[in-house]
Amino acid sequence: MAEKKTKKESAAKKEPKKAAAKAAAPAPAAAPKVTPGKTTAKEARIGVYICHCGTNIAGSIDIPAVQEYAKTLKNVAHVDNYQYMCSTPGQKKIENDIKEHKLTGIVVAACSPRLHEPTFRTATKTGGLNPFRFEMANIREQGSWVHMHDREGGTAKAKDAIRIAVAKASLLEDLIPKAVPVEKAAMVVGAGIAGMQAALDLANAGIKTYLIEKNPTIGGRMSQLDKTFPTLDCSQCILTPKMVDVGRAPNIELMTYAEVEAVEGYIGNFDVTIRKKARGVLTPAEAEAKGIVGGGCNGCGDCDVVCPVIKPNPFEMGMKPRKAIYIYHPQVVPLIYTVDFDSCVKCGLCVDACGDKKAIDLEMKDELIKVKVGTAVIATGYDIFPIEKKDEWGYNKYENVVTSLEFERLICASGPTGGHLVRPSDGKTPMKVAFLLCAGSRDNTGVGKPYCSRFCCMYSLKHAHQIIEKIPGCQPYIFYMDIRSFGKMYEEFYYRIQDEGAKFMRGRVANVLEDPNTKNLLINAEDTLLNRPINLEVDMVVLAAAVEPCESTEKTRKLFGVSKSMDGWLLEAHPKLNPCGTTTAGVFLAGVCQGPKDIPDTVASAEGAASAASIPIHMGEVELEPYFAQCIEEKCAGCGMCVNLCPYSALSLVEKDGRKVMQVTEAKCKGCGTCGGFCPGGAIWMQHFATPQVVAQIDAFLLGGEQ
Amino acid sequence: MARTKGYPEALEKKLADTRLYEDERHPEFTRTVEKISMSIPHMCYQCGTCTASCPSAPRSSYRIRKFMRRALLGLEEEALTDPDLWLCTTCYSCTDRCPRDIAPTDVIMAMRNLAAQRDIVPVNFLKTVQAIYSTGHGVPNNDVNRAARKKLGLPADPPTTHGFPKYVKGIQSIIDHFGLKARADRIVKEREG
Ligand SMILES: Cc1cc2nc3c(=O)[nH]c(=O)nc-3n(C[C@H](O)[C@H](O)[C@H](O)COP(=O)(O)OP(=O)(O)OC[C@H]3O[C@@H](n4cnc5c(N)ncnc54)[C@H](O)[C@@H]3O)c2cc1C
Ligand code: SF4
Ligand code: SF4
Ligand code: SF4
Ligand code: SF4
Repeated sequence: MAEKKTKKESAAKKEPKKAAAKAAAPAPAAAPKVTPGKTTAKEARIGVYICHCGTNIAGSIDIPAVQEYAKTLKNVAHVDNYQYMCSTPGQKKIENDIKEHKLTGIVVAACSPRLHEPTFRTATKTGGLNPFRFEMANIREQGSWVHMHDREGGTAKAKDAIRIAVAKASLLEDLIPKAVPVEKAAMVVGAGIAGMQAALDLANAGIKTYLIEKNPTIGGRMSQLDKTFPTLDCSQCILTPKMVDVGRAPNIELMTYAEVEAVEGYIGNFDVTIRKKARGVLTPAEAEAKGIVGGGCNGCGDCDVVCPVIKPNPFEMGMKPRKAIYIYHPQVVPLIYTVDFDSCVKCGLCVDACGDKKAIDLEMKDELIKVKVGTAVIATGYDIFPIEKKDEWGYNKYENVVTSLEFERLICASGPTGGHLVRPSDGKTPMKVAFLLCAGSRDNTGVGKPYCSRFCCMYSLKHAHQIIEKIPGCQPYIFYMDIRSFGKMYEEFYYRIQDEGAKFMRGRVANVLEDPNTKNLLINAEDTLLNRPINLEVDMVVLAAAVEPCESTEKTRKLFGVSKSMDGWLLEAHPKLNPCGTTTAGVFLAGVCQGPKDIPDTVASAEGAASAASIPIHMGEVELEPYFAQCIEEKCAGCGMCVNLCPYSALSLVEKDGRKVMQVTEAKCKGCGTCGGFCPGGAIWMQHFATPQVVAQIDAFLLGGEQ
Repeated sequence: MARTKGYPEALEKKLADTRLYEDERHPEFTRTVEKISMSIPHMCYQCGTCTASCPSAPRSSYRIRKFMRRALLGLEEEALTDPDLWLCTTCYSCTDRCPRDIAPTDVIMAMRNLAAQRDIVPVNFLKTVQAIYSTGHGVPNNDVNRAARKKLGLPADPPTTHGFPKYVKGIQSIIDHFGLKARADRIVKEREG
């Protein structure tokens, strides 16, 4: 409809832009670098560039028609199109035309600003304009791609998008990004292998790093594993040296049994409050600070012996007892006991046993600690999905059905059975073991998880190997749909395990039944390669259970303002090009909390996150996009209502020339617009999204360019 | 198209080319089955959970998974002419467990509908239609059952159309509305003379 209007018509109906802009904009105020409300001084002259993106855009949008249309728009001084605007020749066009055509603003109609806004801003700047005089019209993601089969509609929409962008570009103003200093410290939340690696890298790069772990020890899931595929090295053996390094690194301040309680601030300046949970035991350093010379916990375990309260040890998946005062396992870092105050009866026997070390304080309270960091890495890992929800496999119903993590503990020499795999029902050695792959993964019923958990194929191969090696004559059956062995030396590992005698049954298990007398298990599946149903009796079933983010991730992610994707894992800034970043500047992701990863991938992602998190710290300062609110002081009535509305506490009231006016702490303002939309007097100018600019966009859309 | 070599008929059959050729695939069949079944067999990943849940499978050549594959590929002839199509008990065990949230039972039902439209129905199913038409029951009461019921202290005939034969008429008009009886009679006659 709008594009039918001739140039003559639309031009005739409109007032000169300059006058309109001036009328809408408030008088300039004296204050900061950028004057709120100051619009383009000279007549707007906009250059419009339409990108083909190969055939991505040109394939479904009529570029010549769009170009002809753009020429008819008010304020447009130059229009061009190019195969790939983001290429060097494309950018050069912008740079040269700014001078040649005396342009005051640039519009590129191409892909999403998330992709190339920085590219074209740079070109705009190189051409001699303020980079914020650039506006992008998305005619790819929101145009050609969604209207692939509607050339006419897609073309009409592209014209609309360009008209709207030109309207805004005509009113854009010069803005100057704000540089803020970056605190030379980082935080890593979660001390599994991902968090440990990230912390070590940051510390080695000379950055003070706070490592926060909710459990009493670092190590995460990896410390529960027996061996690691595909090399089969002992998990603890390769992990403990790193744990020790973390414990010793002078640049790492390790806080175990601690959680993040509150986060304030922004990149470069996060104020984080940490809750150090009362662990009831003093470290030697804490004891010394209290004047107990030579005291504090030395890990002797005298307390453990006398404590009368017995609880299941979560590290052993509840298959081994611990006391109310406990350590998870002998290699914990730090080697400090912890009192479980939920089950402690305060009998005081441990206090006596500890004696002169005076390490135990049964009245200890939680402590809140505040630290300031420039960047943060979240590495909160994973948990196993509650597999009993898939009741057809009988977990929690049949004793000899275990999860893969329970299997890891049962086959581990330091585990509850000393590494002898036994059936929970009768302690007998199983001679036939079925491994059920994709247990709860790749499940679209709404009960399980739709994604592939990515490491269960490989660890099930490892498990098969372990029982063949440890129990002569024991037969592993692997029930699978696909074996995903895509990593380096992984397919070779699959070959090896098949060669060792594991039987691969290509079929997903429909259900497991128990023989109540023998506690043996009956497996119903189809051998889809033989085309025959199978009924197999085994001694033990191991469920390669799906994984999901730890429950505690939710609170942490919200505090740091990180989103999650549809599947629940934390959302990266870009799945391919920025997998460690998040949409919150200065916050990064490492390890499985972003999505299932085996150890090699986890470590790689942790190193990536550490590197990304160290960049702002090494740069010393970061530029904040200047999308701040500004107060137009002449209009501000000093009512202060905006101050309470701001979700980021960026506003305050100050005395100026004998009256109260609002003031913005620019570094805190996220440009959300809450205050700007609210102010009854229209005294708040949202830079880059100012009312006249947004109104011009809406008018351009609704009125087809009339103002 | 499968190739023939021009051998004598018996040998030709024995050595027939059984490879899958593109011209056997009818995407329209997949769409029709999905429409009738209101399910998504094109999402089947051939895990076998359905076959392994199926009470028919262990004692027959019926493989529900195979029918799902045929639905996915659009193998209309192969699906509709396979007598196994009629071995589903409609117990819905497969539908309960399918991890891709497909309803194989409903897919089988859709295929049976399509087969029936082409008069491909086993005679015993048609005889069931005839039995329902005359008695209101697919499996009418008989003397053995009557004796058993009496022994259990139940009336010889249950309080269905057996106890109230006047309602058989109503059932007949429903069946006639769809022309089912006439169709069953015709096909049975063609097959059995
Ligand atoms: C049975 C099994 C066998 C496996 N075998 C292998 C193998 O052989 N080889 C291999 O490469 N991979 C294997 N894996 C995968 C391996 O476990 C992971 O790749 C690895 O543990 C991921 O490390 P992470 O640090 O990301 O997560 P985690 O190990 O889960 O660590 C996360 C840490 O963060 C802490 N945390 C969580 N939330 C918070 C919070 N809010 N605040 C503070 N701290 C928090 C947790 O307590 C934990 O210490 C196996 C996995 C399973 C289930
Ligand atoms: S890794 Fe293997 S077992 Fe695990 S969900 Fe993926 S395909 Fe299934
Ligand atoms: S299916 Fe045949 S070709 Fe493939 S691995 Fe087996 S024997 Fe070899
Ligand atoms: S259970 Fe579902 S996905 Fe698996 S083979 Fe059957 S229909 Fe296909
Ligand atoms: S509904 Fe039919 S195909 Fe499905 S399990 Fe029951 S008998 Fe088998």
